[in-house]
Amino acid sequence: MTAEIIVVTSGKGGVGKTTTSASLATGLAMAGKKVAVIDFDVGLRNLDLIMGCERRVVYDFVNVVHGEATLKQALIKDKRYENLYVLAASQTRDKDALTQEGVEKVLEELGKEGFDYVVCDSPAGIEKGAHLAMYFADHAVVVVNPEVSSVRDSDRILGLLASKTRRAERGDGAIKQHLLLTRYNPARVAVGEMLSVKDVEEILGINVVGVIPESENVLAASNAGVPVILDDNSHAGQAYSDTVARILGEERTMRFLDAPKKGFFQRVFGG
Amino acid sequence: MNARMDTQDACDLRFGQVGIANVRIRRVDAAALCEELERRVRTAPQLVSRAAVVLDLSHLLDLPDDGTVDALLEAVRSAGMLPVGLAYGTSEVEALSRRMGLPLIAKFRAAYEPADGGSIAPPAPPAPAPAPAAEAPRRAEPARQEPEPFAGLGAQHFDGTVRSGQQVYARDRDLVINGAVANGAEVIADGSIHIYGSLRGRAMAGAQGDEKARIYIHDFRAELVAIAGHYRVFEQIPKDLEGQSVRCWLEGEKLLIAKL
Repeated sequence: MTAEIIVVTSGKGGVGKTTTSASLATGLAMAGKKVAVIDFDVGLRNLDLIMGCERRVVYDFVNVVHGEATLKQALIKDKRYENLYVLAASQTRDKDALTQEGVEKVLEELGKEGFDYVVCDSPAGIEKGAHLAMYFADHAVVVVNPEVSSVRDSDRILGLLASKTRRAERGDGAIKQHLLLTRYNPARVAVGEMLSVKDVEEILGINVVGVIPESENVLAASNAGVPVILDDNSHAGQAYSDTVARILGEERTMRFLDAPKKGFFQRVFGG
Repeated sequence: MNARMDTQDACDLRFGQVGIANVRIRRVDAAALCEELERRVRTAPQLVSRAAVVLDLSHLLDLPDDGTVDALLEAVRSAGMLPVGLAYGTSEVEALSRRMGLPLIAKFRAAYEPADGGSIAPPAPPAPAPAPAAEAPRRAEPARQEPEPFAGLGAQHFDGTVRSGQQVYARDRDLVINGAVANGAEVIADGSIHIYGSLRGRAMAGAQGDEKARIYIHDFRAELVAIAGHYRVFEQIPKDLEGQSVRCWLEGEKLLIAKL
């Protein structure tokens, strides 16, 4: 048994990788899958905070890679979903503490333990941590913000996904690439301050799998240690639910692409 | 000695590329040479007066003797230019340059060596001009004896998008890109380049100096295009070309771009 490995990556920092990893893993668990989410950002661990399990970290990913703890000891069971586990990063080590063989061993062991999905939360950049996070992936969720520097960095990452991964090196068929647009603000797109979905798709040459609107709920959810996908009342949470469904193969129409304050008449008459 | 006090070296030794004019001698006639160059200096004094030039003797069937070369150098000087060395050449030219006390300025010396001691080989294409060509992959090894680079190799094809940070190079042939070339990506060919997606990055054709190379772009949004080292950068994409299908070619020193 092998697990499907999904890397959440972007190149640029601060675009919403960890938020997305947490919501994606939770969403897959809600769909009944057995899921582990791993924080590859060794030295700057954040995922445990967003998942709300920061006070339960005893052993971490680096301990497992170095054989200082077993995988079972290090996996933290989520308090909301029993089929969801978190593997935290070490805050005291750096990214060189990870090795390719060590990461491979952990991923294989997760497959043997019956996990359906492993979500790898990549650090920013294109150095070792990011490389190891993407190397074994079957799917990649490339998180991009609607601004030019983020788009360019994502383009770079898409190039690396197509060349510097195990699938590429073995010629096993390409990694499935999903483009996820986050922090989308339709009102600012309308006045030309932000790139539109169409602009981003055109520049990168692939279609988006989801568009997450910019929302205050994301920050509130992060601070509370609750993945925003669990916030049914927020547009961001609903957009993440749609995205997870699409990654699982469901068809769903894109929502929240238009500025919400459009007048009633404009809407009726197709403004 | 205050050497201990000096934290900096007396000088830096740096290698850079500079443009330099090349006086290619077609006839051994110092007087005619002087007259011709004087005419050039008069028409474009800003450009060529006191310009550093190298003397290129590779077009002459036989190498002139030292006295004649001296006369030619003197002719260049009296016309108002400053000869600083001899260009290209065979080992004979090298020996000559030593006797004259002048540097030999050559890119690929071996390429100009007569194949079998017979007449001098045809002049190879000019070395790529400075600037963007510096980023093109340069080879240290000498160019081939017979400059027939594009024969029978066909084009190199690239399927999909060339992503930011990637570089695709077609050695000795044309390059066909089926997808787009992203910002910060580079496509380079010794022959021509065809891009069927949009070009947002850089395209450099004729990387080894083929001035007949061309670039065809389906959707023009380039950062830079270059042919045989002559390049144009686009800080602003001209409105009339943006998003259009275009071709780029070289007319003399000028890189031209027009809608298809």
